[in-house]
Amino acid sequence: MKSIHKLIIAISLTAGVSITSCQKLNVPPKNIFTSDVIFNSQAGIQSFLATLYQDLPIEDFKYLPSSADGSGSGGGYGFLHGGNDWTEFFNEAGAIGEEVGPWSGFNIGGGFGFWPYGDIRNVNIMIAELPKHTTQLTQTGVDALLGEAHFLRAYYYFGMAKRYGGVPIITVPQDPGAPLATLQVHRDKEQAVWDFIGAELDLGYKMMPATSDAGRANKYVAAALKSRAMLYAACVAKYGSANFVDGEARSSGFAGIPASAATGYFQAAYDAAKLLDGVYSLYNATPGDKVQNYVDLFLKPGSPENIFIKQYSKANNTAHSWDATMSPRYFTADALSRSYPTLDLVQLWGNLQVTNSDGTPKRFDNRADIQQGLEPRLLATIYFPGATLRGLTFDMQRGIYPSFSGTAAAEVAKQPNSRSYILSGDTKTLYQGKQVIGFTGPWTGGDELTRTGFYVRKYVDYNRVQATVGLNSSVQPWIDLRYAEVLLNRAEAAVELGNTGDALADINLIRDRAGATLYGSIDLTKVRNERRMELAFENQYYWDIKRWRTADQVLDKAHFKGLMPYYVFDENKYIFLAEPELFNREYTFSKQSYYEPIPGGEISKNPNLLPNNPGY
Amino acid sequence: MKKLISIILAGMAILAISACTKTDNYDGPNASFQGNIISTAGGNLPTSSGSTQIKLQQIGWTSPQTIPSKFDGTFEDTKLFKGGYRVIPTGGAFWPIYDTITVNIAQGTKHDFTVTPYIVIKNFTATLTGTTLNLTYDIDAPIVAGLPTIKDTQPYVNTTKLVGAGASIRDFSDVNAVTINKDFIDMSASEKSRTLTVPNLIPGRTFFVRVGVRLSDSYNSSNFSDIIEIDVPK
Repeated sequence: MKSIHKLIIAISLTAGVSITSCQKLNVPPKNIFTSDVIFNSQAGIQSFLATLYQDLPIEDFKYLPSSADGSGSGGGYGFLHGGNDWTEFFNEAGAIGEEVGPWSGFNIGGGFGFWPYGDIRNVNIMIAELPKHTTQLTQTGVDALLGEAHFLRAYYYFGMAKRYGGVPIITVPQDPGAPLATLQVHRDKEQAVWDFIGAELDLGYKMMPATSDAGRANKYVAAALKSRAMLYAACVAKYGSANFVDGEARSSGFAGIPASAATGYFQAAYDAAKLLDGVYSLYNATPGDKVQNYVDLFLKPGSPENIFIKQYSKANNTAHSWDATMSPRYFTADALSRSYPTLDLVQLWGNLQVTNSDGTPKRFDNRADIQQGLEPRLLATIYFPGATLRGLTFDMQRGIYPSFSGTAAAEVAKQPNSRSYILSGDTKTLYQGKQVIGFTGPWTGGDELTRTGFYVRKYVDYNRVQATVGLNSSVQPWIDLRYAEVLLNRAEAAVELGNTGDALADINLIRDRAGATLYGSIDLTKVRNERRMELAFENQYYWDIKRWRTADQVLDKAHFKGLMPYYVFDENKYIFLAEPELFNREYTFSKQSYYEPIPGGEISKNPNLLPNNPGY
Repeated sequence: MKKLISIILAGMAILAISACTKTDNYDGPNASFQGNIISTAGGNLPTSSGSTQIKLQQIGWTSPQTIPSKFDGTFEDTKLFKGGYRVIPTGGAFWPIYDTITVNIAQGTKHDFTVTPYIVIKNFTATLTGTTLNLTYDIDAPIVAGLPTIKDTQPYVNTTKLVGAGASIRDFSDVNAVTINKDFIDMSASEKSRTLTVPNLIPGRTFFVRVGVRLSDSYNSSNFSDIIEIDVPK
């Protein structure tokens, strides 16, 4: 009997526990942010946006354009935002002859498989969610954020369109549970992608306010980006229809735009640039010292020229290493430099006066005299021999000639072993008490010292104390869009449209600030050269020669030059010889590189991305 | 203790023997594909490194692979997976072929492709005077209409039989290039009969020499002559 009681108790206990335990678990998980948490407050949205802004394809200091040459050893490639991305010298400029550096030639054409559909999905979620939260954010707040989202989406698609041409346009978050056939989307035509980018930026311009926090977009940022993007599209239409690699992707419209579309895109670029008229202006705080003014334009916060910037912080572990990697250790605390401006770039400003009319090298009492008469912008862009930084002098000297006779051309044409100069692999080596090579090079013994006789000056923060200039310690912002570029976009579009009057005024604004003599007339070559000079090292020239479709001629077994200073011992003078740069590299751009290949991994996941671009 | 160790060892031995019994029942890459790239002007198409290649795409797979042509216009790959492939020659200085053909590749599969070169180099001679090499040759185009612009012509000099673009001594080769930048149709008869000079060869060495004509097609590719061996006397 007792055991029956026990049994009844046991059964009722079990039943009681199991009945009461059957409540549905309906507690929101604490470790996952639901859309309400994110989209109900500005703070939630800001943290969501932070990732989207960080992932934008902004080609900044850290941008590493290819996975070739083992360049990723510092921690990956592409758009980097870690705490230890110190390979700034693997830059675009160094693969195309603005600089020469660690790239073994032009080998960045394959890119790094940029495919930002994860970020685009997040923007798409944002665009789908925001209208549901008008009560918390107000209609105005939602509209402004939607405008920002359209801008971000355009920026991501621009990053892809200039690399691949036509890519799938996805505007709503795909459902992972949908049938594979609907997930494996096809490529859209290249023209459709550029039109989409233009329309998205129009929405951004219409919906965003006129001002924003630094680092975030406003309506003028959208307009500025539109002038850049539409100019790219216009050139693909105009020049890409004359110089192309044939293939299925081209005949299907995935790589290439009909030439007839060019005028419309040029007009769109011009109109977009004009929207910034009077809103931004060129930095001109110290017009009395044009060199210092141009140097400060890249370093002073609050410049009226800055349209869109990317910021860095040591506390957030995102600082960059520009200061430590563009100058040799002579000026810094650690690290080294590996890429150097070419004489070819310097000569855009005109030939340097280093040779007499009879062909003999001009004799200089002082290396710094080479800077006399040069345009302030050039001196502010590149460190010449004799310039100073942090109390030290750039003392570039390739070697010593005990004596020198004859012409510069004849000397340079000689085989190295029949030249009478004295070189050294070490700055400590002396020749009759005189240092053979400068503390700042040039030499060929290893990395660290210049191989062209020049160093980059643009963006180098001269105010920092040497002992603090280490890796991952630079925080000057990258100016992604500045008003000078918008003027150059506008001038180029204007010349292409036949409006030379507008172009001349734009270019002369830039030349005046640069300290250059003003032009009386303008043509396309002048506009393009002005662009190269003004935007040197700003990761523009690579895309310029791609969209102009001139890269295969500019980089056709190309060799670049440096300017080597020598000391002539018996005369106690300096001479400068234009010689092949000391890496002695060759650069060749093959025409298929006007488009990058669609990443192979993506094609394996989605064969509908085929046909791949011509030549791949 | 000893007993314990021997038990463990015995256990490990049993595990080791019994662990790997599964065998891979897929065929390895034991198929091969070889052949010639024949020029319509006669013989094999003379090529160089990094230009002409056979592009293969296995049916059912998405990434293409390539077999580079050897300098004598032959190609061979002995480590392919058996199966159906779409194949096409590409990348060289010949009139582009757009139609792929389908080949079932198995062990010892052979196939020859026929291409029409842009430029044919004829009557190539090399004469040595002291250490200066004089090269003469005529250039001809099997099809003139629509031919890409001719960019330049240059000698290729190397110390091995592997001589051509990307395999030459720069000071004897690239430095002696002559720019043309003309369409074939606009070239006079004298411009089609060319001479190149390679000065200051090193005495006592053997060199292999050929000439090339480069065109502004999609690949900036070059047509090449035959290779001549030159012994420079001491």
